[in-house]
Amino acid sequence: MKTPTAREAGTLLSRYTSATRTATICCRFRSSTLPIQQYRREFHNSTALKIVKPYLLADIGEGITECQVIQWFVKPGARVEQFDPICEVQSDKASVEITSRFDGVIKKLYYEADDMAKVGKPLVDIDIQSEISPEDEAVIEGEPRNEANEVAPSKSTQAGHNNGGIEVGRNDTKAVAEDIPAPSVPLPAEPTNSQPQPQRQPSKHASLAVPAVRHLLKQMKVNIEDIEGTGKDGRVTKEDVQKYAEALKKADVAPPAAHTRPSTAPIQTIEDEVRQLTPVQRGMFKEMTRSLSIPHFLYTDSVDLTALNTLRKKFNHQKEKGGRLSPLPFIIKAVSLSLQQYPLLNSHLNTSTEKPQIVVKSEHNIGIAVDSPSGLLVPVIRNVQSQSIESLAAEITRLSGLAKAGKLSATDLSGATFTVSNIGSIGGTAVAPVIVSPQVGILGIGRARAVPAFGQNGEIVKKEECVFSWSADHRIIDGAMAARCAESVRGYLENIETLLVRLR
Amino acid sequence: MAPSRGLQPLQTALRRLLDGSGSIPGVRRTFSSFSETLADQANKVQRYISHSNDPYLNLTIEDHILRNSPPDAAVLFLYTNRPCVVIGRNQNPWLEVNLSILNPAKTQQAKDTEPPAIGSVDLVRRRSGGGTVFHDEGNVNWSITSPRGDFTRDKHAEMVVRALRKLGIDRARVNERHDIVLDQGHSRSNSDPLDTHRTPYMIDQGGPRPLKVSGSAYKLTRARALHHGTCLLASPNLHIIPDYLHSPARPYLKAKGVESVSSPVGNIGLQNEIFQKYVLEEFAIMYGQTGKQLDIKSVGEEYLKLPEIRKGYEEIRTADWMYSQTPQFSLSNSKINEEASQKKTLTREVKFPDGIDMHLTVHHGIIKECDIHGPHATTAEFQNIQSRLLHRKVQDIRDWHSLLTGGSPSGGRTASEIAHWLNEIMPVVDIAER
Repeated sequence: MKTPTAREAGTLLSRYTSATRTATICCRFRSSTLPIQQYRREFHNSTALKIVKPYLLADIGEGITECQVIQWFVKPGARVEQFDPICEVQSDKASVEITSRFDGVIKKLYYEADDMAKVGKPLVDIDIQSEISPEDEAVIEGEPRNEANEVAPSKSTQAGHNNGGIEVGRNDTKAVAEDIPAPSVPLPAEPTNSQPQPQRQPSKHASLAVPAVRHLLKQMKVNIEDIEGTGKDGRVTKEDVQKYAEALKKADVAPPAAHTRPSTAPIQTIEDEVRQLTPVQRGMFKEMTRSLSIPHFLYTDSVDLTALNTLRKKFNHQKEKGGRLSPLPFIIKAVSLSLQQYPLLNSHLNTSTEKPQIVVKSEHNIGIAVDSPSGLLVPVIRNVQSQSIESLAAEITRLSGLAKAGKLSATDLSGATFTVSNIGSIGGTAVAPVIVSPQVGILGIGRARAVPAFGQNGEIVKKEECVFSWSADHRIIDGAMAARCAESVRGYLENIETLLVRLR
Repeated sequence: MAPSRGLQPLQTALRRLLDGSGSIPGVRRTFSSFSETLADQANKVQRYISHSNDPYLNLTIEDHILRNSPPDAAVLFLYTNRPCVVIGRNQNPWLEVNLSILNPAKTQQAKDTEPPAIGSVDLVRRRSGGGTVFHDEGNVNWSITSPRGDFTRDKHAEMVVRALRKLGIDRARVNERHDIVLDQGHSRSNSDPLDTHRTPYMIDQGGPRPLKVSGSAYKLTRARALHHGTCLLASPNLHIIPDYLHSPARPYLKAKGVESVSSPVGNIGLQNEIFQKYVLEEFAIMYGQTGKQLDIKSVGEEYLKLPEIRKGYEEIRTADWMYSQTPQFSLSNSKINEEASQKKTLTREVKFPDGIDMHLTVHHGIIKECDIHGPHATTAEFQNIQSRLLHRKVQDIRDWHSLLTGGSPSGGRTASEIAHWLNEIMPVVDIAER
C-alpha cells in the first residue's frame, strides 16, 4: 500500500524527470497545498524516466527461472489499473497471477500463450501513468535488486536442504531459512559475527531516496540502510550520503563498536566468556557422546613410506601442481583393499534393536576428516573400492575445497562406512582416534618423519616413517582381526607392487 | 462484499437438507450468507468443510474462497470427491488420462480389456498447477488460503504431517517436492520428532521408495496464496489408478505444459473423519486459535444459489475449459514422445495404416495444422481427410469415423483406418452430464 508521502514523492519525481511530460504537469498535480519550488532539486545524475517501460517478470521464488504463460488477460492497447491481472503463468506446481503495479496502457506483449516466459526479463511494455515508487524501479528498469528488499540472511543455501537454489522471491516465498529444521548432521555455519553493528532502528522511509541519490549510493558502493536520512520523513539526501562517506573514511582505523573479547587495556576487568556451541560443535558433541559407549581397541604401528614416496616423487615430477599425488589417496586405496579381505571392519553396528545387528556394507564409503574454518568435517568418498588412486585424489581435492568453502551438502557428509583421519597433516605421531557410530573402525595417520634405520647389511639408512593408529569396536572386532587388517595395509603401502596387481 | 439476496433461498434450502457431516463435533449450519461471512474482515481464521462430493462444486467453492476472503485471513477447506480424475491447470487431458475408460457405459466399442468396475469417473481441470491425480471417497482434500506475504510451499504440508504424526503416523514426512510421503525403511535412525522433513525410517541409499500419500498444488494471486493437497487415507482403488492415468496417446503426443511426475502411492490407513478432525485442530493451533471456539462451517450444493458460485461451477464444467485450455500440442502416428515410448508398453497397441505419416498440431483445442502424406493413397484422398480435420474443434468431434469418411462406407479405406486409430488415441468423451 502506498502511503500518501510515497505518492507525493512519486508524483514530484515523475514531474521533474521527463522533459516531454511538462505539458501534463498540471493535471498530475495531486496536492494543491505544496508549492513546487520547495522540492526543486538538481537531478544531474538521475536517469530520465521514459513513458513506456518494459515491465519485468518478477521472481516467483523456488529458484524458478522460467514459467509458461497460460493465458493473457490484456491485449496491446488495453488500459490497466494497479492490481489488475495481466496474465497467468504456470511453473511446475504453482499457477500464479501476475498483476500490474501501475495504472497505464499495455503497449506490447513479449510472449504468446504457451510460451515460456523468463524471470527477470520483460513481460509487457506498459505506458505508465501512475506514480513510480523507488521499489517499482527495480521492476521496470531492470536494476539489480535494490536495498529496499527485505532479505533474510541466506544461510539456507549452505544448509543441506534438498531444494537447492532457494531464492528470496518478492512474490512467492519468503526466505526459507527459518523453515529449515535444525539438521542433525554437523553443518558449516557462517562464521559467528562477534562484531555486531550498532543497533539502530531504521526509520519508516529509511530506504526512500530519489533516483539521483540512489545513483550516488551505487557509485560510492554504500548501503542505504546505513545512512540516516535528514530529508523529509527520513529520506536520504545527497548531503547525507556525502557526509556518511566522509565518516566512513575516518572510521577505517577506529576499532569496531561492540567487542566482547577481553582487550589488552589494563583497566578493563577480564571476564569469563560464555559461549554457545556452534552447529559443528553441537554435531560433534552429539556424535562423540554416542561414541562413549564404544569400547575402543587401539592398535598402532609404524609404516615405512620410503618406497611409496620414491614412487610418488617420480610420478609428481612430470605433473603440474594440480595433478600431484599425496600419500593419502594411496593409503585410502590400501585401506579399501584390506577392507575387502576383512569386510567386518566395513560394517555398521545397529544397537537400537534388542538384539544388536551387524550390517556388513558392500560399498566402501570412506570418510576423510577435514579441518575447515568452522571446525571438523568428515565428507565421504563413495565407492572407494571401484575408484582409481587418481580419481580418489581428485575427489579428496574436491571435497576439501567444498569443506573449506563451507559448501558441503548433507549427502556429502553422510553414509560413511569407515573413516580415515589424516591428523598428520598438522602434526602428531600416535593418536587415539574416536570411532563414529554406527561405524566400527577408524584409522588415524600421524606425521611422516625421517628416521634412521638399519638396512640389510646393518648400515644406517634413511627411512620415512609414519605411524598408523587404528581404533576398532571391540564388541565386534577382535584384536587379531584389527591387527591383520593393519598389517595388510602396511603390506600394500610398503610393497606398492602388491597394491598395483590388485587394482581394479 | 457480496449481496445478501441469497439469504432467503439459502435458509429454505438448508432446512430441507439432510445432515451430512454430523459426525464432526462443532459443525454448525448458521444461516448467514456464506459470502458475507467469508469476506468479513473480522474473521481472520475460518474453517469450512464440504458435504458435497461434486468435484466441480468443491473446486468452485475453493476458488470462491481464494477470491473473496480478506487479504490477511487464513481459511481451511476440507472436501472429498466422488471418483474423478483431476488434471492441472495447463495439462493435456489426452496425454495424461485414459479417456476411454472414464464412462464405460457410454463407449460403444468393445474393448480388449474390461474397464474397472467403479462406474463413471468425472474428468476435471482445476485452477491450480501441478500434475494429474485420481480422487475418490477414500481421499480427503485439504486446502488452505492464506496471505501471500508469508506464504511458503511447505508450511501447510508440514501442518498436515504434524496432524498425521499426532495420529501415530510417524512415517510421514514432507519431501523435497512438497509432497507427503511415508518412508519404508525398517531400521530406526535417530530423528527429531519435531522435524517434519525427516523420519526414523528414511533410507539414504537404495531400498524401497517412500510411498506418496499426498501431492500439493498452488495458485497464487496478488495478495493470496492457495495451497491444496490430496491425502490418500483408505482408497479402495489404488490398484486401478494406474489404468486411469496411463493414456494410450502418450507416445504419440508431444505437448508443452507441465508433465505429471509419477510416484508409487499408498494408503495411510485412517478414517476420513478422524483425519479431518486432527487437521481442523492443527490448523486452529497453527493460526493461534486454541482456546477459542472457532466455527466449522458446512458448505455444499445449496451454495449454488449464489450467483458467483453458479457462474464458476458452470465454467468449470464446459468443454472449452476442459479441452481448449490445453496448451499447443502435436499428434503424430510416429512415436514423437521419446521418453514415453521408452517406458513399458501399454496393454494394447493400436494400428495405424502402414506407409502413411500424419502430423496434427492442436492449439486452443482446434486442429490448426494437418499434414498427411504417403505413397499408398491418392493426394485427393489425403486432401479430403485434411480438409475435414483442419480448423475442427477437437472437443466438438462426436465420432472420428463419420467425420473423416462423411458417413459413407465408400469414404475411403485410408480415412476409415485413420479414424479407427484416432478413436483409440483421442477418444470422444462426454463430460459432466450429471
